[in-house]
Amino acid sequence: MAKYYDIDDILAEDELVPAIFKVAANEVGLIDSSDDTNKVESGSKVELPFWLASELHLRQAVSVGFPRCFNKRTQEEIKADAAHVDLRNRCPYFYELGCKIVLLTGDKSIGPVLLVAFMTRYKEVLIKAHTTSLTVAPKSLTLLTNEETKLYEAARSSTAAMKKWRMGGPRLQKASVLGRKRKPVQ
Amino acid sequence: YAFRSLHLINDRKVQEVKGPDDKPVKNSDHYGALIHHLSLVRNKRCLMAYVYNRAEVIRSLRWVVENVLPEDIANKLSDAEKDYFKNHSATLQSYIADLDLGLTVDMVPPKDPYIKVRVLDEIGNVALSNQFTNLARHAILFLRRTDAEPYISQGLMEELTS
Repeated sequence: MAKYYDIDDILAEDELVPAIFKVAANEVGLIDSSDDTNKVESGSKVELPFWLASELHLRQAVSVGFPRCFNKRTQEEIKADAAHVDLRNRCPYFYELGCKIVLLTGDKSIGPVLLVAFMTRYKEVLIKAHTTSLTVAPKSLTLLTNEETKLYEAARSSTAAMKKWRMGGPRLQKASVLGRKRKPVQ
Repeated sequence: YAFRSLHLINDRKVQEVKGPDDKPVKNSDHYGALIHHLSLVRNKRCLMAYVYNRAEVIRSLRWVVENVLPEDIANKLSDAEKDYFKNHSATLQSYIADLDLGLTVDMVPPKDPYIKVRVLDEIGNVALSNQFTNLARHAILFLRRTDAEPYISQGLMEELTS
């Protein structure tokens, strides 16, 4: 229930996964735009958002395959050099989606891949977060998935707080909730 | 209201689907209706999460701005949200009064009862705990920490450490 309101979970479930319809469905032509009829035929292959694919899979209406981000090519790249694989481009919610897909399909092969990728990349993330100066943003940031970026930001803010504590700057600050200057509503 | 009408249309479609024995038949209409239903539920979840997260921000706002919402924020809140803020603020205040302990002061552990501040925005004459002061823009003052804290957290003053 804690995940119902969690925005990251909602966004992660929006990712597309390939699915094959086992039955036909009427009035949902939006999903399969290749032909003009307003329905999806049994056996057609479409890309569905994960939330839809998961529900339909549980009701045996589709069979869900592995999304493109988990294909052979990505797995090879991770084995070669996990730290530099551009995961954000493939799938910004790599880890979350991987976990959910495993629960759905019961395919155990993906677990070790996720683990290896995460371990190598986590090391890189921590090193970069603690050593780079505050103004330089390394290019590798653009390769990180959402979860990794959050870890990076957390490590950065704790390093900054530590430096501030040692140097003793102003401690009372404007509340972050109030944020930037806003333009008045017209 | 839009949800309810969409749900009704969906239900009607599902009812048409029942076979001759009056037992529900899972044909393509059923799945079409199912997909529509799931989409509605998904939309509902997105909206609920949006409202919920906004409510969380509003609650945390109370710890910063005391009772009165700054104008540029009040502009962006719906009426229901403004009521929410008022009620939450009143509840918190009665709780604080019961405890007889100021919970919104000293959000950062204090080192000194007095601090040096520079005023950033023109505030004017205010009554602080032991004096009447004119808080003019760019003035540098030595204030009691508990007095200065709400102004600093709203961005109207800044703390000087030199």
